Amino acid sequence: MSTPALELTGLKKSFGKAEIIRGIDLSIGKAERHAVIGPNGAGKSTLFNLITARFAPSAGTVKLHGEDLAGLEPFQINRKGLSRSFQITNIFPAMTVFENVRCALLWSQGYKYSFWNLVNRSRELTEGADRILDQINLLERRNLPAGTLSYAEQRALEIGITIAGGADVIMLDEPTAGMSNTETDYITDLILKVTAGKTLIMVEHDMSVVFGLADRISVLVYGEIIATGKPADVRADARVQEAYLGAALEAEH
Amino acid sequence: MTVSDPRTDIPKGARPEEQITTDPSKPAQRMRSGSLVLTLAPWVIASVVLAILPMVFTNNSALTIMNQMSITIVFALAYNMLLGQGGMLSFGHAVYAGVGGFACMHIMNMSDFFSTIPLVILPVFGGLFGMGLAMIVGAFSTRNAGTVFAMISLGVGELIAACSVIIVAFFGGEEGVSGDRTYAQPFFGVEFLQQIEVYYLTAGWVVVSAALMYLWSRTPVGRMANAVRDNPERAEFLGYSSRWVRFYSFVASGFFAGVSGGLFAINYEILTEENLNTASSGIILLVTFLGGVGFFFGPIIGAIAFTLLQTVLSLSTELWAFYAGILFLSTVMFFPGGLAGLLMMHVPVFKLGKASSLIKPYLMTLLPAAIGLMGLAALVEMTFHYRHGATGDNEMTVFWTTFDSHTLMPWLVAGAITLIGLGIAKVTAPALREAWSEATTAGGAS
Repeated sequence: MSTPALELTGLKKSFGKAEIIRGIDLSIGKAERHAVIGPNGAGKSTLFNLITARFAPSAGTVKLHGEDLAGLEPFQINRKGLSRSFQITNIFPAMTVFENVRCALLWSQGYKYSFWNLVNRSRELTEGADRILDQINLLERRNLPAGTLSYAEQRALEIGITIAGGADVIMLDEPTAGMSNTETDYITDLILKVTAGKTLIMVEHDMSVVFGLADRISVLVYGEIIATGKPADVRADARVQEAYLGAALEAEH
Repeated sequence: MTVSDPRTDIPKGARPEEQITTDPSKPAQRMRSGSLVLTLAPWVIASVVLAILPMVFTNNSALTIMNQMSITIVFALAYNMLLGQGGMLSFGHAVYAGVGGFACMHIMNMSDFFSTIPLVILPVFGGLFGMGLAMIVGAFSTRNAGTVFAMISLGVGELIAACSVIIVAFFGGEEGVSGDRTYAQPFFGVEFLQQIEVYYLTAGWVVVSAALMYLWSRTPVGRMANAVRDNPERAEFLGYSSRWVRFYSFVASGFFAGVSGGLFAINYEILTEENLNTASSGIILLVTFLGGVGFFFGPIIGAIAFTLLQTVLSLSTELWAFYAGILFLSTVMFFPGGLAGLLMMHVPVFKLGKASSLIKPYLMTLLPAAIGLMGLAALVEMTFHYRHGATGDNEMTVFWTTFDSHTLMPWLVAGAITLIGLGIAKVTAPALREAWSEATTAGGAS
């Protein structure tokens, strides 16, 4: 079997005495779409923050393509091909939509910290950014400050920023939170389109999105994964139904 | 289940017909060709203005004021690389200009070396020394923006200012370090004996520095400085270390601050502790903010306005710093975009072609307000004269009027002018506000 794209072993995180993540083992294969679901406070976002080194784990390891990420800074992990979005929209509000995407392209196109290149002169940058804008349907909003976009557009822009750098492991934290049904469908299609062929790990509350997108699902309850498997298997799992799905499905109807 | 979101007013469904017709490369090309003339025009105009200014203002004191402006422009632009572009508030940036200036003074005094270099390149050395110091300090101060950075900048500023009386060999103690610029190698026969020659040297450096700083803001690291300012965490997840981005901005800013110090050294041929103390650091913050941190040209306007205040106003009143302080306060409170922001507010009005509709309301409000403020200034001046004038010298002159400050009449007149002027402005202000909202809205009468 080939090396998994992302592998978590014995991952733990405590804040003071509170154990938020209590030992997680998870292996996510290449080009797999994996969804992490669970009730509020289960530690989904914390898990994301541990993987991307926003927080340091208390114990355990995170491996990206077989490489241990311990001690790396977020920007170093990003350079290794892991990119993420945030639960709360996290863009550059004062810059134009185009600039937002262009900034996301700079490192992957090898510009680093250079001060001898002018960004306007680079065709690859301009065309690359416009291509991403086209993918996320924001070409018309190109020259507006990102902060003036509608909520759904900002979420789309954030996904655009996340995928722009060409990372092969994409992590999306609740991409459809706070959206109407039409917007949710729109974002779901968008995610399918832009993550084709890539590894996708997402936290999501909306069950229709999860079952529509994911190849496999992990259910996180109180810092532990109680089930991992194909959507149909997870749906049928008695423990899952008891812990989470039952309540969520009830709320849906 | 998701909730319908009231923030979204436009349905965001895919609209394929519009996407297909839009060629991704076209808007970029259109922007590029159109903006070339637009980007170059201000630079050409500014250079021409700088070149002909000394023909309009020929006397030496005017040249001195213009040189002072140029030096402040370079310094304020350098400062705005931190504050405006990088979101770093420094309370001690004068030390980089000062150290650059001191280094240049020492080079001036190394007669063997100095006689082999043309004076024109001396500011480069100032820049290198400013940059060197910025590299040392930036190594630990740029870890964070915000309060930590501001506190470190203040501490380092105080520290180096204190060093100026301890390390006498470099800072020259209380007398400072002086030198003679004319010992440099003549530059195409020019020995910089005359003020006008120094003017053109300084003006040349302003154009070059401003252009370089502008270009810097267009490079990858310059763009990322904006990104880190807006959202350091997001920048980290794009592969950039926000700390390194801040460091590079800081070092570049230190370089141009050092250049401004070098220009100061050339102009005044003396540097003292005053060039790097906290007061000077405070002034450059004030200048930059007054001009507006949100636009590249903001600090230029700020430097011009502040130097005029400082030089012209200080000729007529001892209280100029008081008025400068009030101006700064009202900028922070009412126009956080600064003078540049105030100017740029009017761009949409001109685009809508409604500028003429504002002339009358502006006159109706601003003219009485100005008269009222003059009355208020007269009251301030009279109070100052009444309290601090020499005994027996009761005569004073305010706004071309001479009177006795110890009689009641002038107080009544000034008080009445203040009340009437500001009173009229208060009455006409709502009309101006209405005219403004009308002028900034598309459609309507025009």
